[in-house]
Parts: sequence; C-alpha cells; structure tokens
Amino acid sequence: MKKEKFTIVTFLCNWCSYEGADRAGSARLNCPANIRVIRVMCSGRVEPQFVIQAFRDGASGVLILGCHPGDCHYKKGNYKARRRIILLKKTLKQFGIEQDRVRLDWVSASEGTRFAKIANEMADTIKQLGPLSELEALN
Amino acid sequence: MQERIGVFVCKCSTNIGNKIDVDSIVSDVSNIENVVTAKSHNVLCSNEGLEFLMNEIREGNLSRMVIAACTPKMYEQRFMNVCEASGLNPYLFQMTNIREQVAWVTPDKDLATEKAKTLCLAAINRISFQESIEKKEIEVQPDVLVIGGGVAGIEATLTLTSRGRKIILVEEDDDSGTPELKQSAQFRKVYLVEKSPCIAGFSGRFEEVYQTMECAPCMLAPELQEVLQKDNVETLTYSEVEEIVGSFGNFTVKIRRKARYVSEEACIGCNACFEPCPVEVMNQNNLGLSKRKAIYIPYAGALPNVPVIDKENCLHLNGKECNACEQACAFGAINFEDKEQIIERNVGAIILAIGSKLSDPTQYPQFGYGKFDNVLSAIQIERLNATNGPTGGKILLKNGQEPKSIAFIYCVGRKEIGYCSGICCMYMSALAQHVKEKLPDVKIYSFYTDLCLPKKEHQRIFEKVLNKGVEFIRSDGSEYVDSDGKQLIVKYKIESSKKSQLIDMVVLAPPIEPNQDIEKLAKLLEIPLDENGFFSEEHILMKPYAAPLEGVFIAGTCQGPKDIGDSVSQASAAAGKILSKLMLGEKLELEPIVAEIDEEICCGCNICIGLCPFSAINRDSERNIAIIDDTLCRGCGTCVAACPSGATKARNFTLEQISAEIREVAK
Ligand code: FES
Repeated sequence: MKKEKFTIVTFLCNWCSYEGADRAGSARLNCPANIRVIRVMCSGRVEPQFVIQAFRDGASGVLILGCHPGDCHYKKGNYKARRRIILLKKTLKQFGIEQDRVRLDWVSASEGTRFAKIANEMADTIKQLGPLSELEALN
Repeated sequence: MQERIGVFVCKCSTNIGNKIDVDSIVSDVSNIENVVTAKSHNVLCSNEGLEFLMNEIREGNLSRMVIAACTPKMYEQRFMNVCEASGLNPYLFQMTNIREQVAWVTPDKDLATEKAKTLCLAAINRISFQESIEKKEIEVQPDVLVIGGGVAGIEATLTLTSRGRKIILVEEDDDSGTPELKQSAQFRKVYLVEKSPCIAGFSGRFEEVYQTMECAPCMLAPELQEVLQKDNVETLTYSEVEEIVGSFGNFTVKIRRKARYVSEEACIGCNACFEPCPVEVMNQNNLGLSKRKAIYIPYAGALPNVPVIDKENCLHLNGKECNACEQACAFGAINFEDKEQIIERNVGAIILAIGSKLSDPTQYPQFGYGKFDNVLSAIQIERLNATNGPTGGKILLKNGQEPKSIAFIYCVGRKEIGYCSGICCMYMSALAQHVKEKLPDVKIYSFYTDLCLPKKEHQRIFEKVLNKGVEFIRSDGSEYVDSDGKQLIVKYKIESSKKSQLIDMVVLAPPIEPNQDIEKLAKLLEIPLDENGFFSEEHILMKPYAAPLEGVFIAGTCQGPKDIGDSVSQASAAAGKILSKLMLGEKLELEPIVAEIDEEICCGCNICIGLCPFSAINRDSERNIAIIDDTLCRGCGTCVAACPSGATKARNFTLEQISAEIREVAK
C-alpha cells in the first residue's frame, strides 16, 4: 500500500540546529509540514536504530542536523554521528532504501535560512523518490 | 498507579491561535488514555498562565504534563519551575514546539494543525516513558591548587582567598543554659605550587613594564607579601606537581618538594651566607651575564627571601669539606640534611598558570646570537638596563664601552613558529625608550615586518618612541646579522633592494613559547594542547579561562602569549568561576541529564570509553565494566548511541522515550 503523504523524521541537536530551526520560525520562512522534529542533546546521540525505526514506522526520509564540524557543544559528537551515518547508509542500501533518504548536515544556531533550505531540499528529494513503500525487509 | 496526564496547548495569543486549530487538537488528545485534562490557554507563560498551570497540576493531581507552545528554549525552565513548585518532578514534563517550528513556518492552517497534533501525540507518547530525575549533590573540596606563582597565579590565589564565609554557631552556655552566639569563619585554602625557589614569575622581576613603565616588583610586592603571609595560602616554592587523580570537586594531588637546604621558618633573609660561599657559577637569572654563589637567591628582592643551596655545585653536598654558609648563619637555618618530600593535598579545582618562556634565539641562526658578542636577546638588554642587573643598570657592550648604535630586530622567529607573540612590539618599544633615556645620543634602528599595536595605549607608546628619534625600518623579514670583525652589520631588504647597516649592538625579540613543563601537566591531567603547544581552552571565545576538563582552569601565558593585564584578567575570571561553582560550605549540584550504565548489562567492551569527549567514562577492571563519572558527564549521549549491548542510558533521552516519539512522528 502506497501512502500519498510522506513524513521526514528530523533529529536536531539541542544546541545549534534546534535553534537554527527556531530561527527559521522567527524569520517566518516556509518549511515543509512533513518535517517532524525530535530534539536530542547532540547529533552524536542519534543511533542507527532510530533511523531504522523511523523508516519502519512509516517515514520516507530521515534528516539529522547537528552543529558544524568543530562546533559541537560536546566537542566531537557530530564527528561520531558522521562516521555512524556513513556506515548506516551503506546498510540501508541493502534493504533497498535509497541513500538519499537519509541526510546528515550541519546548521548553526543562527542559520535559519540554511535550515529552511535544507528542509525544503530534503522534502523535494523525498518527493522525487516517492514515499517509501512498506518495507518487508525491515518489518 | 494509573497515570494522570495533563496536556496544555498555548495559543500564544494569535501567534499560534490564528495558525493552528488549537481547539481541535485539545478535543482530539483528550480522548487519549490516561490524559485526564486537556486544555488550551491564551498565554501560558504569563503570570496568570503559570498560576493556571500550578492549579491544574495540584487540583488535577497530575502525574505527568505536556505543554505545546513556543520553543523550549524560551520558557521550558520556567515551566519546570512551576512543576517543582507544584510538587511534580520537572522531568515528568515534556514540551513541544508548535510556534517556531510549526505555526510560524507552515502557512497552510490544516497542515499546521495536523503537524502540531502529531507533535502533541509524540510528546504524550513520550511522557509515559519519562522518569523523574532527582538532583544529585556531592560533597566537594572548596580548596584550590594553583600551579605557577607568576602574575596570573598570584592574582588567582588572592581572588580565591579574599573572602571567607561567616559561620554563626549557637552554643549553649554550660552553666546558665542560655544560648550564646559564637561567630567563626571558614576559609578556602589555596595551595600555590611554584617550581622555582621564588614567586613573582617571569614578568614580575622586570623593573619597567609597559604600558605604565612601572616597576613590576614594586607593583607586585604587596600582592606577593599578602600571598606569603596569608594563613589560608600554603605557598610551596621549589615544588612540582607529580600526580593528579580525581575529578572536579575532589582532586588528590601529589606534590614533590625539593630540598632547599635552608629552613624557610628559621631564615630571616639577611643573606650573610652568600659572602663566605667559595663556589661561583653563572647566574642564569642574569642570563649568564653575571655570577652567583652555590647558596643564592635567584635575584635581589626575590620572595620568599630565603636562599636555596644548589645541590650540583655546593661543596658540602658533594662530599667535600665545607660548611662556610652554616657557620655564617646566625639563625641555624642551614640544613644539609634536608630531604625531598612528597606531600599530598586535596582540592576541588585546579588553576594552571605556569607561564611561558622566551624561545632561545640560537634557533634562528641568521641573527648571529651566540656567535657574535653584542647580539643580545631582549631579556638580556632588560637585565643590563635593570638596576639589579649585572652592570647595575648601565647599557654596555661586552668591552665595557657604551654602544653608539643599536638595532632592535622585531618578529624574530615569528615566521618559523607561525604566530605573533603580541607583546614584543610593545616591550621592544619600551626598551628602546629606556635605552634612549640612558644614552640620549645612541642611534636606534628598529627593524620590523609588521607592528602589532592593538590596545588603546599602544599607539601612544609607539608614537612616543618615534618622537624620541628611534628610526623604524620596515624590512621584509629577511634581516641577517654579520660582522666585519669590528662592528656588527645588519643586512636587510626593502622591497627587494639589498641594504645594510653597521651597528654596535643588536637586540632580538624572540617569540614566546610554551613552557617546558606544559606537556607533563597536560599528560597528568589528560588535557589537550593546541597546535602551538599552549593549553587548549574549553572554548576560545566563551571559555578562554577553562581547560576542556571540568574543574581545571587556565590563566596567563600558558594559554597563549599575553601581557600582564590580560593575564590578570584571565586569572581573575578563572578564580571567579571557581568561587561561583565551589561555594564554601555548599555541595555541588550535578548536571541531572547525564548518561548511566547498567552494570548488569555492560559487557566491558570499552567502546564508550574512547568516544567520550569529556573523559567521563572509566574502566572498572575488577568488575570488567565501564563506569561513568557523574561529575564529568555532560549528557551528550554519544556513548549511549554507540553501546552495542544497550547498557548505557541517556537520562531524559532514553531509547524508549525517543522511540515513542518516532512512532508518532513517522506515521
Ligand atoms: S551538540 Fe550539536 S552536534 Fe553535538
């Protein structure tokens, strides 16, 4: 069964990217409604399991945003996230999930515009890929 | 027990109210199991709104609460305070952001309402998995270890010990039984550890320092005396830190006290012991420009005014027959039996203020330092200029004559080390000024590539020197010092045309480099050094006074080259931070959102240990598990995400809590 609408589960670190998303709001920039935010303390907290679960529970994309490299509030959490996500993407491919459905990027607390841009790009990407069909492999 | 969840949706007046159909959300969520109240409010963050919440929690006997409103960055804390005041653990409250991240970014009201509803459902889903978290407090040591007795260390010590805490004890008078008020005070103790035999550091001995051209010993003397006389400061000179274990609030430090062979208690500083000592060696304090005895104080006026016997050169200590100093001492202060000791102290925080050093100009052979007699480093000419220096303050060439011309070469080694030391332009200008005052007819050439005059006073000092007739020559940094046998020659280039200048004396401004002890301390504490070898700061802009290890602070030039004023500011900042964190008579409140390890599940794989950016995880080798130090953990959750066996849990961001959210938002 194919869904018409799709969701993008979005993990934002508490210190930079969450505030960046708030800044997009303060500037009244349009962001796609299918971006659904979950706040974590650091992008380093995002475990592969979260991403897999998001797909399994119906998400068509997962967006993870952290502080810019070198700016992580906990020094290196975002580097850890980067390593992990690279590996995860490879694994997801084996389940037939296109790599572009997961995106890891950096947004600082002042970059409202950048947040909105990435959010819209992500929505466009997923729109092009189409909603993720129910995944046998993951269930 | 059945949970009683309250859900409150804020309209933020029209901000949310006009963009989202709040009422439909309220009516939808009120049907969810365990939700006992769901209400909207016009402005929850107002006083009236807070009171409303307080009543709802109390009267509804709520066991959990969800608020959908603006960003938690605004009022989450305020709402948590309301929870606390109403008897609800603040971690049984969850906030979701439907203003900045929904109402303000989603023009379509239906879409916005649907998204906001999803976020509310996710928060309600999550709240059932939230756990109450109690604030944890630990006993801490208010005492502080300051390493380095230079300007920064002295300033920090005085700031830390300036005030005690008044304690009023109520005691019953034994006879009459009437209560009696007794006052006493508790003081913080500072252990000031200095490697050399005296405090005041490097800059503290210079007679005239910019910007005020004041005499540093005079400026510092009252402070040094205060440090030495304070009951709550233990000054450990001629000592080095050998071991540091523990963490913020509770460090145990081992300090090696070298044998001084002169009792600090008995010695009155009369210096009668110097004269009879038959040994003479080069005085490194005067940079080899003069001699000293085997029993000596590093320089006239050094504090504490107690000599030290140099073990390498003393005849007695090398098995020869001599006790000249012992005989000369009327106070029985000489003690050849003195032994090195290791002493232990407990402290809550540490300030590193070990200073820096001027690099050795022989590293830059083009300047002829060490090769030609009259090529001096800046510090050597400072010694010549100083009244307590080898010439009693006269600027003389090696042959005892006054120089007729002097070249000051700035930026020595800057290109090689890759950073500007920031203070040389100023001290070179100050030196040029002094020389000009002593030798009005001397011709001074200042060779520079770039001038660094950033502070409000600098330009004025520079102009003063210019007005004194010092000639500034901007070369391309290729200065080369040679000699024709009689005089020195400075060869240089201006816009690729070669030039040269005959000169009597050359003064070099070598760069400021990290102290040789810095690596040892960095290793002891497991803290990083920056690319230039100075201590790294926790954040170069926001926390330049702290090392990236809780409870360890940095002050003065061990963090990077700086002048006296900046060192004092940084030391005060470090001390101030300690004063505000380690309160006398109080416990230390720990960050509640930290990670914890389930000892039953942990398999001891150690993956988390290497990942922790704060060195908060250690291995318990006996039980073969990892353990988290609550005082160091900051709750980023990186270890949690990496734990292959799911033994690690991030408080308030657990797997169950985040999964519950995902379940709702992914739909
Ligand atoms: S805190 Fe933002 S990525 Fe670590």
